Amino acid sequence: MLRDIIKKEILDNITSPKFVFTFLLCTILILLSIYTGVANYRAEKKEYTAALALNKKNMESQPNYNSLAGIGVKVSKPPQVLGTVVTGIEEAVGRVAPVNIAADPNLIDSKYSSNPVFAVFGALDLMFIVKIVLSLFAILFTYDAIVGEKEKGTLKLALSNDVPRDRLILGKAIGGYISLLLPLLIPLLLSLLFLLIVPDVSLGGQDWARLLLIFLMFFLYLSVFFSLGLFVSARTSRSSTSFLVLLFVWVIIVMVIPKVAVITAGQVKPIPSVHEITAKKDAFLQQVQVEGQKTVREWVTKNQADAGKDPKAWQEKFRQFIQDYQQQLTTKIDESNAALERDYQQKKRAQQSLAVNLSRISPASALTFGSMTLARTGVDEFDRFLASVRAYKPIYTKWINSKLGESINFQTGEQSKIKIDDMPQHVYEPEWLSRSLVRAIPDFALLTVMIIVFFVGAYVSFLHYDVR
Amino acid sequence: MLETINLTKRYEDGELALDGLTVKVEPGEIFCMFGANGAGKTTTINLFLNFIPPTSGTALVEGIDVAKDPLKAKRHVSFVSENVMLYGNFTAIQNLDYFSKLAGKRNLTKKDYAAVLDRVGLQKEAFDRRVKNFSKGMRQKLGIAIAVVKDAANVLLDEPTSGLDPQSGREFLEILVQMRDQGKSVFMSTHDIFRAKLIADRIGFMRKGKLVMMKTVQDLAHEDLTDLYIQYMEEQPTASPNASPLA
Repeated sequence: MLRDIIKKEILDNITSPKFVFTFLLCTILILLSIYTGVANYRAEKKEYTAALALNKKNMESQPNYNSLAGIGVKVSKPPQVLGTVVTGIEEAVGRVAPVNIAADPNLIDSKYSSNPVFAVFGALDLMFIVKIVLSLFAILFTYDAIVGEKEKGTLKLALSNDVPRDRLILGKAIGGYISLLLPLLIPLLLSLLFLLIVPDVSLGGQDWARLLLIFLMFFLYLSVFFSLGLFVSARTSRSSTSFLVLLFVWVIIVMVIPKVAVITAGQVKPIPSVHEITAKKDAFLQQVQVEGQKTVREWVTKNQADAGKDPKAWQEKFRQFIQDYQQQLTTKIDESNAALERDYQQKKRAQQSLAVNLSRISPASALTFGSMTLARTGVDEFDRFLASVRAYKPIYTKWINSKLGESINFQTGEQSKIKIDDMPQHVYEPEWLSRSLVRAIPDFALLTVMIIVFFVGAYVSFLHYDVR
Repeated sequence: MLETINLTKRYEDGELALDGLTVKVEPGEIFCMFGANGAGKTTTINLFLNFIPPTSGTALVEGIDVAKDPLKAKRHVSFVSENVMLYGNFTAIQNLDYFSKLAGKRNLTKKDYAAVLDRVGLQKEAFDRRVKNFSKGMRQKLGIAIAVVKDAANVLLDEPTSGLDPQSGREFLEILVQMRDQGKSVFMSTHDIFRAKLIADRIGFMRKGKLVMMKTVQDLAHEDLTDLYIQYMEEQPTASPNASPLA
């Protein structure tokens, strides 16, 4: 009997115009999103390779270490291959972090800053399609699942037989869910095939595992809306009411809660603005520079007498002093900046954490954060990258300071030509799958809990549903 | 056999929909229940199908208490409702197939379905057409076919003749008579006094949840059913000398 109900539900759905419409739209949107995702990834990969070469050429073309210290080194973030499916914040956050002696590294040059029109429309990635379009389809498939049958009189007719209500709701749920997945599965498989054959997109073993986990999260997310639709359908007596209620809930869940959570977190845990932090850093830098000039002058005055005795030894002594003092000052600046940054980051993290946890009431947020974590295109991944650049800065600073000291020729006033072969390179290790998975578990758990709550609600409601 | 014993239904809002109904429909009998809208006819059917629980009293199907063992009781009941839309994207045969399977009839072939649809008077060319293009009368015939296929010992009909043209109405009555001849108990709620008079073995009049009068087909032979209907649907009925008021 359960099989008959499931079969009927699938047949009823796939012969309906809404299925044809959903299938066509899903196919077009999913394939389009994958195509644009792949095109973007390939373009970013090219840009990344070009940026690396340009940075190297730029550094090598500097006349001396002084000017090299001025321009610093630009560390580019490699594009994530799974950004083809979940763009995350990749386009909103900078792709390059300049590293030099004076400034604290930060990400600049985002896609949105170079072309703000992208920020207006956002990315059409697969996650967006699942989050917005397919969740609406899930509602479209379920808003009349129970109440529609009541209106048609088929519920009374079915239940005039010895059909247990639990079996009927179970059959409807399974059949309805399969019907919803059908228009999704075919374009998804085509997308996977496209990812397999397209050049320049190479997915490793971990990437495939991540992709499957992302797809699992998509299915869980759609199941939340599917079971919510069943629940509301089993609580209402008119399909128009059910649809309106679901639309209202959808707007609240998908549109309102995530934004309100961020605003609330901003109010509850305020953080200083970036400008305030920059002003503090600049003020300290100026103070250190004034202090440094004074110290150098004092050192020269104090050791003036030695310059006449043995100029060569004095020059060597001065070089050593400058080198040590420069390192001392940059360390001091770095420490001060780091302390400011630590405090700022700590407050920012607390605010972000509150915003994320509050917004997770919404399955849309759980999907967003979970899939971004798995695709390595979320806030954490950028924080990790920035942290790696900040960890790299003292290593680079030490190297450039030593080069600055070594390159000063007091007799000729010339500086030696630069060589960057021995420059320490920035190394960035992307997060391992196991770690990403651990961080995505709360999102998986939240979605699963929501499915259970809504389905149990639908199940219990249907057992007591007035079929008249 | 269908039977109610002192069956009462009071809704949550306090409305007394059915007030101590006691009636029995024997095998091979057609019982027609008249009454204005809200008189309690559909409530009685809903109680027989356990769509609502009784406030007190008992509804029995083949001696099975519907409230205690609803699934077992429903095995012995076919149901035709007033205005069933059915599954619009399915053909007549597909609808019939699904409901037959729900009724436990699993071995029927397309030929069997076609025979039943033919019997209820549905045109052959409509068998494989989508039901959403059917007229109300065609859907009603399909609803009757679903009840015929189930072939239960008891048949509950809620305003079954609404929407049927005269020819279809006649065919429908023939089916009911065949069902009676097969020994089925038929309980029909209706406003259609003309058709009811042709086939009913007994009729009952309901008003405000009470069965106010019951007559046999023999009684009806000497009376005008239309007069009786009008008389018993009034607020304060004047008792007919031949009537047997029950309330």
